[in-house]
Amino acid sequence: MPAKVALKRNPKKNPLGRVFAGNIGALAIGLKYFFDPNRITLLYPHEYIKLRQGYRGFIVLIQDKCISCSSCARICPARAMKMLSVKVFDKRLKKEMVKKFPVINYNRCIFCGYCVDVCPTEALYHVPYHDLVYMNMRDMILSLEDFQKEPENISAKEGVPIRYVFDEKRGLVKLRQEEKVTAQPVEQTKPDTTKQQASNQQQASNPEPKSINKGGASQ
Amino acid sequence: MEASSSGIPHLPGMEISELSKNTYEVYIGPAHPGSGHMRIIVEVDGDIMVRVDPDIGFVHRTMEKLAEGRDWIKNIPLFERMAILDACNITLPYVEAVEKLLGTEPPERARYLRTLLCEINRIASHLYGTGIFGVFLGHSTLYMWAFGDREVFVDLAEQMSGARLTHSYPVFGGVRRDIPDDFPEGARKATRYMRNRLNEYAKIFLNNPNIRSRLENVGVMSKNLATELGIVGPNLRASGVRYDVRLNDPYEAYGDLEFEIPVFEEGDSLARAWARIEEMRQSLNIIDKVVDWLEKHPRENFMHEKFWKTAPKLYKDVYTGQIEYAGKYRIKLMPLFASLKVPPGKAFARVEAGRGEMVYYVESDGKDVPYRVRVVSPSFRNVIAFKYLMPGHRLMDLPAIYGSFDYFPPEWDR
Amino acid sequence: MNVWYLVYRVIIDDIIFYPPVYQYLIIPGLIAALLVALFIIWFERKAAAFVQMRYGPREIAPRIGGAIQLVADLTRYALQEIIIPETVDALPYILSPIVMIILALLPLEAVPLTSIRTYFPIPPDYSLLIAVALSTLSPLFVVLMSWASNNKFAVVGGIRESFIITAYELIAVLGFLSAAAMTQSFNIVNIVNMQMSGKWLGLLNPIALLAVFIAVLMSTSGFPFEIPDSESELVAGPYTEYTGLLYGLNMGGGYIKRWVFSILIALVFLGGWAPYKPVPGIITGYFIPSLIVSIKALIVMAIMSFLRSVYGRYRVDQALGIAWEILIPLTLAAFGLGLAEAYFGVI
Repeated sequence: MPAKVALKRNPKKNPLGRVFAGNIGALAIGLKYFFDPNRITLLYPHEYIKLRQGYRGFIVLIQDKCISCSSCARICPARAMKMLSVKVFDKRLKKEMVKKFPVINYNRCIFCGYCVDVCPTEALYHVPYHDLVYMNMRDMILSLEDFQKEPENISAKEGVPIRYVFDEKRGLVKLRQEEKVTAQPVEQTKPDTTKQQASNQQQASNPEPKSINKGGASQ
Repeated sequence: MEASSSGIPHLPGMEISELSKNTYEVYIGPAHPGSGHMRIIVEVDGDIMVRVDPDIGFVHRTMEKLAEGRDWIKNIPLFERMAILDACNITLPYVEAVEKLLGTEPPERARYLRTLLCEINRIASHLYGTGIFGVFLGHSTLYMWAFGDREVFVDLAEQMSGARLTHSYPVFGGVRRDIPDDFPEGARKATRYMRNRLNEYAKIFLNNPNIRSRLENVGVMSKNLATELGIVGPNLRASGVRYDVRLNDPYEAYGDLEFEIPVFEEGDSLARAWARIEEMRQSLNIIDKVVDWLEKHPRENFMHEKFWKTAPKLYKDVYTGQIEYAGKYRIKLMPLFASLKVPPGKAFARVEAGRGEMVYYVESDGKDVPYRVRVVSPSFRNVIAFKYLMPGHRLMDLPAIYGSFDYFPPEWDR
Repeated sequence: MNVWYLVYRVIIDDIIFYPPVYQYLIIPGLIAALLVALFIIWFERKAAAFVQMRYGPREIAPRIGGAIQLVADLTRYALQEIIIPETVDALPYILSPIVMIILALLPLEAVPLTSIRTYFPIPPDYSLLIAVALSTLSPLFVVLMSWASNNKFAVVGGIRESFIITAYELIAVLGFLSAAAMTQSFNIVNIVNMQMSGKWLGLLNPIALLAVFIAVLMSTSGFPFEIPDSESELVAGPYTEYTGLLYGLNMGGGYIKRWVFSILIALVFLGGWAPYKPVPGIITGYFIPSLIVSIKALIVMAIMSFLRSVYGRYRVDQALGIAWEILIPLTLAAFGLGLAEAYFGVI
C-alpha cells in the first residue's frame, strides 16, 4: 500500500531550556515581522482585485446564439433562470415568432456556472467581477435587455487594480496592475463592444511573468 | 430524573432534575465569542467542570430532505454548503456513490484532478481550524496568519475551478475544468512558501511556552476511549489509532501516491494540534507529486466517454480555447445532465474529509430525484467527546479542548 | 504691579504649576494619561497589525497612519447612551469605574518629578513607600464592579481578578522596594540622583526589573496575563454589562493604571530624569524633567503593548502558579541581590 503510517511524538521538552528557547524564539519571530511587515489587506474600495478570465462572476446572454432549448433553466440548482416568451423577428424565416429566452434572478443565483456549462451554443458567459450593489430586490430580477448587457464595473472606475502574486519568501504580495488595452480581431459573430471588452480583459490577465516585470516587486 | 420529595406538580412534558449543591451553571451560548453555533451547558464546581452538555442543532437546514426534491446534479451545490471549507471533500462521496449506480468510472486524469483539489481543500480546512484554535486561546497572531496563508490556497483553488470557496468541481463522470497553463509554477511556489510558514507557526504557537503549557496534558483521550466513542479524523490519529480512509480504503488517486499518515501517541490537545500541522505537511507533498504527474501527462479528456462521445464540435472548441470569451479547458456539460435518470439501486461511498471520515448512502428509485441520501459527517461523530472528556478539567480548559477538536457546527447540523 | 504679572503669578505659578495640581491633572496626571492612552492603544493596534500581515487603523487619516482613530473611538463612546440594566445594583455599578480611575492616578501625587525643592508635592522622604502603597487601592473596585453587575460571566471574571490581585501585589511591592535596599533610602530624589552617573538600577539589578515588569503586566491585563477580561471565554469579564462612557472609562482605565506603574518604573529603575540636571525655573526645572520621565514611561508601555502580538493567554491557575512559585522567589532573590550590591559598594 503506497500510503504508510508514520509514528510521531510531541516535541520533547527540557524544562528550563524550553522556557528560554521558546520565549526567545516567539519574540524573535514577532520582532522580525514587526520591523519587516508584509501587509496583504486589500484596501477596498480604494483598490480592487482584478480577477482572472475564468472567474465565475455575473452572467451575460448573447441573444443571437440562444436556441431556446431551456437547458439552463432546467439545470439551475437554485431556480434562478426562467424562460420568458417574447415576440421576436426571426431573420432567417422572415416573420414574427414567439420565442423563449432566459432571464435571471440574482436573488437566487449561486454562481455555480452550470448554466454556462450546459448551454449547447455557448450563448452565456461569465464576466470576471462580482461586486455589484442593487438598491432594491426588484432590480435583481433582470429583464431581457439588462441580461444582455454587461453590468457596470463600478469598482474599476474608482479603484486601483491590484493583483496578488505568490512569492516564495513572503507569500502573497500585492502588486499594481496597469490596464492594457489592445484591439485583437477574432472571427466570431458577436456584437463589437462586448468583443473588445472581453479581449481586453483576457489580454490584461496574462500569465505572471509579464505583470511582475511591469508592476515592479514591492519588496 | 424525577423530583423525589417536594410537592412540585408534574405537568406533561416537564423534566425535573435534581439541583446538586455547589455547582454553578454557565451557558456558553450560541451568541458567545468563543462557542461557534452551538451551546455548551457547563456545571462548574469552583473551577472544575462537573458536567458538560453540548446542545447542538442550531444550524439545521434539513439538507437530506431537501435533496429528495431536487435532481441528481442539483444536489452537488446543495451538499457543498454543508461545510463550505472543504467543498470538494464534501461532495466527492456523493459523486462517487452516484457514479457507482451509473456504472461510470472517471478517467485517470480526472482522478488526479479531484485529488489535487481535495488536498488543497484539506490544507485550507486545517488552517481554518488552527486559526480558530488560536483565537480561542487569545493568540490573535496565529489567527491572522492562518487566514492570510489560507488565502494562498483559496487563490489556487480559484485558478482551478473559478470560484474561491464554492467550487462544485466534481460532476458525475469527471470534473468540470482542467488546470490552466500557469498553474504548476504557482502551486510549487505556494508549497515551498507554506513549508517555511509551518515552521514559523511552530515557533510562535506550538513551541511558545505560554501556549504549550495550556495544551499539554489537557483533554487526554486514550486509545480505548477514542475507539469506544467513535471519534474520527486527526483527533483519532492523535490518540494512537491508525485509521484513515486513504490508508484503509483508497479512493481516487491515493492508491498510486506515496505519502505518510502521521499518528501521535499522547492524545492530548497538543498532539491534536501537531497532527493537523503534520497532515498539512503531507498534503503539501501530495500536491507537489500530483502537479508533477499532471504536467507530465498529456491533456486528454477528463470526462467519461458516455458523456463526451456524442459531443458536437463546439464543445471541443471550448475545451481547447478557440472561442475567445469562453475561457479555456472547460468541459461543457451535456444537456442530459439536467434530467439524468439513475438506475435503481443502493450505493455507499466514504472519503477522508478535513475533519474526519465522511460517509454517504444514496438510494435511487429509477427516477430523476434521489429516493434517500443519508450523510454521516465527521463533526457529528466527534461532538460526543465533549461530554466524556471535559469533566474534571478547569473552566478555562474548555476552549483548549473545544478548539483542538475542530468542530464545525454546520457540518453536524446539515 | 503689572496686571499681566499678577495673572502670570496666580494662574501659572499658583494653579497650573502648583505641584499637586500639576502632577495629578497635567503631566503625568489626567491629561497626559488620556493622551498616552490614546497613543498607546493606537500603537498596540498598529504593532499587532504589522506582525499580523495587515494595516491596522488607517481609514480616518491615511497619511499619518490613522493616528487619530482613538479620538473618533472616544467621541463615539462619549456620545453613546449609557444603558443601566434593571438587575444591577445601581450605585456601585456607576461609581466603580469612576472611583477606579480616581484612585489609580493617586500614586502620582506622591512622587517627585524633579530635584528642585519648590516643586515637591509632598515631602519626599518616604515617597517610594507612599507611592507603592497608594497603588494598591484601585484594584478592589474591579471586584466590586463584577459583583454589582449581577451576571454570571462578570462574577467569574471578578473572582479571577481577585485571585490575581493577591498574587501580583506582593511581587510589585517587593520589587520596587529592592531599589530601597540598593540605595538605602526611600527618597525618590536620592534614588534618581544616584543614577545620574549612568548607573541605572535596572542594569544593576535586572531581576527586579523583570519581576516588576511581569507584575505590572499581570495587574493591568496585559498579554500573556489577560485573564479577567478574556474575550473568548467570558464575554468581557467584569466589564460585560457596561456601555457608553463607562465602557470607555473601563477600557481606558486599564491603560491609565499601566501608565502610573510605568512612571514608577521609569523613576526607580530607568534613571528618572537623568541625564538632565534640573535648573531652577518653571520650564527647565519642572516641565522638562517631567517630559523626560514621561517619555521613558512611554517606551516601557510600548514594550508591554508589543507582547500582545506574540503571546496567548495563560490559564488562571498557571498564572497564579507562576506568580507564587516562580516570581516570589525571584523577587526575594532580587531583594537579596540589591542588599548584596549595597553591601559591596557597587552603587
